Amino acid sequence: MSTPRLPRYDAVSRLFDRQDYTYLPLKKDHASRPIWINPENGHFILEAFSPIADQAQDFLTAIAEPVSRPAHIHEYRLTPYSLYAAVSVGLETNDIIDVLNRLSKVPVPESVAKLIRECTLSYGKVKLVLKQNRYYVESQHPSILQRLLKDDVIRGARVLDSGDGNSGNSFLQNKAPTADGLKIPGTGKKAQGQDAEMFNTLIELDKDDEVGEDESEDVHSFEIVSAQVENVRKRCNQLDLPMLEEYDFRNDTFNPDLEIDLKPITVIRPYQEKSLSKMFGNGRARSGIIVLPCGAGKTLVGITAACTVKKSTLVLCTSSVSVMQWKQQFLMWSNIKESRIAVFTADQKERFSGDAGIVISTYSMVANTRQRSYESAKMMEFIRSREWGFLLLDEVHVVPAQMFRQVISTVATHAKLGLTATLVREDEKIDDLNFLIGPKLYEANWMDLALQGHIATVQCAEVWCEMTPEFYSEYLRETSRKRALLYAMNPRKVQACQYLIRYHEGRGDKIIVFSDNVYALREYALLLKKPFIYGGTGQTERMNILHQFQHNPALNTMFLSKVGDTSIDLPEATCLIQISSHYGSRRQEAQRLGRILRAKRRNDEGFNAFFYSLVSKDTQEMYYSTKRQQFLIDQGYAFKVITHLEGMDDMENLVYRDKASRLDYLHTVLMASERRRMPRWRTTTLARRAAGSLQSLSGGDSMAYMEYERPKAKKDVQHPLFKKYKKKRGAA
Amino acid sequence: MPIAGAEHPHFRTAIDEYLETLPAQTCQRLYRSPASCLAVFRLLPNLAKQTVMSLLYIYDFVPASDLAARCFQDSARQASTWGDRDSVNKLLRLHIIEQEQPEEAAAAGQSIGDQRLRINQTFGEQMRNALTGGGEKGSFGIPSAVPDKHPVDVAFLDNYATQQWEAILHFMIGTAVTKRPGRASLNLLRRSGLMTSSATSNSEAVSMVITNKGFQFLLQDVNTQDLGMDLVEVLNFLFQLGALELGKDYSVEPLTDTQRKMLDDLQDYGLCYRRKKGSRRFYPTRLAIALASGNASMIDLDKGDKGYIILETNYRVYAYTDSPLQIAVLSLFCTMRSRFQNMVCGAITRDSVRSALTNGITSDQMIAYLTTHAHPYMRKQVPTLPLTVVDQIRLWELEKNRMQPKQGYLYQQFARQQDYDTVLQYAEELGVVLWHSRAKRMLVVTQDGHVQVRAYVQRRKARQPPGADGDRSQ
Repeated sequence: MSTPRLPRYDAVSRLFDRQDYTYLPLKKDHASRPIWINPENGHFILEAFSPIADQAQDFLTAIAEPVSRPAHIHEYRLTPYSLYAAVSVGLETNDIIDVLNRLSKVPVPESVAKLIRECTLSYGKVKLVLKQNRYYVESQHPSILQRLLKDDVIRGARVLDSGDGNSGNSFLQNKAPTADGLKIPGTGKKAQGQDAEMFNTLIELDKDDEVGEDESEDVHSFEIVSAQVENVRKRCNQLDLPMLEEYDFRNDTFNPDLEIDLKPITVIRPYQEKSLSKMFGNGRARSGIIVLPCGAGKTLVGITAACTVKKSTLVLCTSSVSVMQWKQQFLMWSNIKESRIAVFTADQKERFSGDAGIVISTYSMVANTRQRSYESAKMMEFIRSREWGFLLLDEVHVVPAQMFRQVISTVATHAKLGLTATLVREDEKIDDLNFLIGPKLYEANWMDLALQGHIATVQCAEVWCEMTPEFYSEYLRETSRKRALLYAMNPRKVQACQYLIRYHEGRGDKIIVFSDNVYALREYALLLKKPFIYGGTGQTERMNILHQFQHNPALNTMFLSKVGDTSIDLPEATCLIQISSHYGSRRQEAQRLGRILRAKRRNDEGFNAFFYSLVSKDTQEMYYSTKRQQFLIDQGYAFKVITHLEGMDDMENLVYRDKASRLDYLHTVLMASERRRMPRWRTTTLARRAAGSLQSLSGGDSMAYMEYERPKAKKDVQHPLFKKYKKKRGAA
Repeated sequence: MPIAGAEHPHFRTAIDEYLETLPAQTCQRLYRSPASCLAVFRLLPNLAKQTVMSLLYIYDFVPASDLAARCFQDSARQASTWGDRDSVNKLLRLHIIEQEQPEEAAAAGQSIGDQRLRINQTFGEQMRNALTGGGEKGSFGIPSAVPDKHPVDVAFLDNYATQQWEAILHFMIGTAVTKRPGRASLNLLRRSGLMTSSATSNSEAVSMVITNKGFQFLLQDVNTQDLGMDLVEVLNFLFQLGALELGKDYSVEPLTDTQRKMLDDLQDYGLCYRRKKGSRRFYPTRLAIALASGNASMIDLDKGDKGYIILETNYRVYAYTDSPLQIAVLSLFCTMRSRFQNMVCGAITRDSVRSALTNGITSDQMIAYLTTHAHPYMRKQVPTLPLTVVDQIRLWELEKNRMQPKQGYLYQQFARQQDYDTVLQYAEELGVVLWHSRAKRMLVVTQDGHVQVRAYVQRRKARQPPGADGDRSQ
């Protein structure tokens, strides 16, 4: 197909330069097709109001990364990873191009078709399947197997006489796996044919039905020696034919089954089901990542997956608090016996009884390579010696890639599932996750979930607080470190915080105030007479405060440092106020918002949760704030700017009303900044002798945010098409 | 968008208001043409039309209360309007009706409370002529006697009008156009203050920049825009145009010199078509007829009345358009990203808004443009535009306006601290100090205060040996 690459030339052409795609002809019936395709960078622009937008959305999330999903027009981006993911859930090159062409107002540009072909031809063509405890290299295309066998390493690893009469160059031939008979618990229907269903609803592509009976759906395979699996895997990567891992858990008789099922009353939501159907679409377990907003029930998805696989499961999370929460959730949603769940943290080192069970631990416990206590070492031995059916990785986005490698090489596991709310990282380490865990299987649309009432609707606001003249002149004089403290401690901000707390307590809201800066946290909390929790707060006190917050109607506000960013489950909270934050971290912003998404009252008529970000005007904070909001804005959230809080100045007992008290306060702040190097963004990771909390011992203090490293030069894994585009964009 | 006259008060008010400012004599002259009378009549609101019609064939004064009595059909609302006497006042301002002078009233033995009204004699006569035919010849234009050897059709005229008009608009928003508008249009643009020549301009190669007023102009409907132009001498001609028939050619012969000159200009704006300069015939275009007749529904140069802009909460702009003009207008305050045959993508950014603000386009105008042209899907939601984006555009404007320039005079190089202190004290007592620095012995006073402070310094200088006092510079 050759399209004349001549853009229409007119008075405004120069505004677009190379981004003028008027040379792409519109199809006659373009009005009824919902997407445009950008030939330069593989962006899709989707009309979300089109009658077939739902199906188109499903398809696009399967093959591309969502870029922005506000009310009317969505954008998606095609990347090699997203295509890798598409292939791994069973989409074929021609299907992708075909469906795309049906959806598109313009013919699929050759550049995009080429990218799709390039990426999908090599990805996902070869699978590593464990069946009856024997490893098979499997493919639908015998020619690819032939190609692999030309390689010495792979040929050497092949089991030539597998005892079923197969020898020489012939392959084993089987029916392609289907989800027949597999039931994902909690869904009430079979997982069967989810992929096909998606395609069929999509513009009558009924081809799949016929193909189902077709011979070409047969798969071919050869067996390899289990000791050689790692080498074969490595070799395949080098040959540019990376192997997808699938776990045929229903035919695994070697690993004992775990008696676990969802409780009959547990019902999972449609989007949870959809995400799981991506994982179990062909009756086997695919490894990958599921992205759901905070509060949308990631835990239940993980538990349901474990209940489907029914093998020994290892769950890894970020802190000991979430370890306990996971355990409790397992007991709540599934019928597993408590004796089958073991917890492995700094404080507790249990083992499960019987030959199959669940172990819940933290990344740092498992990845730790330093000297361990005797108990820990024994526990690790226990973990290392076993073959795990299923590895569940919670909050995968916060864990450094290095730690992941460590974990994954330590634990022998058949299927891996990563869970996260936001696949954004300032250090672009997301790419690593794709190869360490697997492709992204599913990503939910926040706005849709909010509309359906699964997560709370949130009013976001950015409150601009003027710097008082005293603070501002000091700010202009200072270096960046002290600046951060000055804009965090801005008296107008304290006032705004006081005002908002009073206002929302008056409305009956439960409020969490977040501050990354521990000094600010403490000062604010003491001044406004509210309890606070930070890394140094003891476990008992912490639990006590959390308990009071949940159940005591007299305590409606608490202050949290970044320890509360993730995994603290507080469905009571309905209002968040953020007074200081981690520079431009989009993820932290999303994560914090997540604290109120699961608000208990979310289904009340007209209920809104509130998210305030207090920002000192004319400081660097403004810049960071804009950057932080980007992810949420792309999800369709809107941040309202509030420049003036009505009635704040007349409020009773307003702090720092007069200049004298402000000056006094300024001196205190300046003194404090002299005394200790503020703010303490980094907690040192050197070994300390001080008595630490459970949180710090489990690494909860320092491991949450590793992104203060400047983004390093990106690894050269990008498709040349995008590189070209990126370069150009950078130059523009 | 042009739909019906009633929905476009701009148009009416613009020309009405203009006519209302004309002195009685000018109006009197204007009303000598039946075509003008009819055109002015068409521009009137309904109630005023009714008043004119009821007075038209009565040659004497009629009590206002009688007039009121004739207009009761719409009862309450009308009555209150009548109570405001809006339409009567309007007719009085337009000199279409006259009021009986108090002394005349007294002579006629009328009570002072009841006002008596009469139609302007000239207007009445010519209006009657217009209705029944007669009066001055050629007021409604004279069709060419000889058929055109190169006849043109309506579609051609429409196309011509659009092209001419868009060339002007493109020029205003600074898109690189192949076709520059004629000199008449350029002059007009400058004179009317819609654009200013930028300082670097030399000779013919004028580089003009759009001004605030110019942008306002762009935001209005096509037919409203015309009235921004200064067309004093040719009102009659314009009104005549309103009575002409589209697609017919008319003779240039009966036109006065001024009107012929004007014809050249009108041709430039796309209001009239002539095959070449000096041609003996001209064709009015739809634009001209609609403009002068007040019949906005005739114009639909702007293709499709549908809104086409989608503005998202993430500041992205998607515009369903292939019109270079619409794209160019958007690009005044959006960063354009990519373009497809039927859609362009862009984004509102701080930079794009700031550059628009620098050109004098206000945030209100940007918001108005986005609102008027919002896509139907946007119009379904309340408010139409995402509030956060609207707020942000306003905030960017505020941000820019935080610095306020003030004119002032700088006093410096005081030889002695004492001199400085005395002058400063004096200026402070006057309350005219804008800024001062003791350390640098510098002082800025307001423009108003400068005279007094300068006088004070000079008085001191006169009293003291030379060289003891400060210099000043502006």
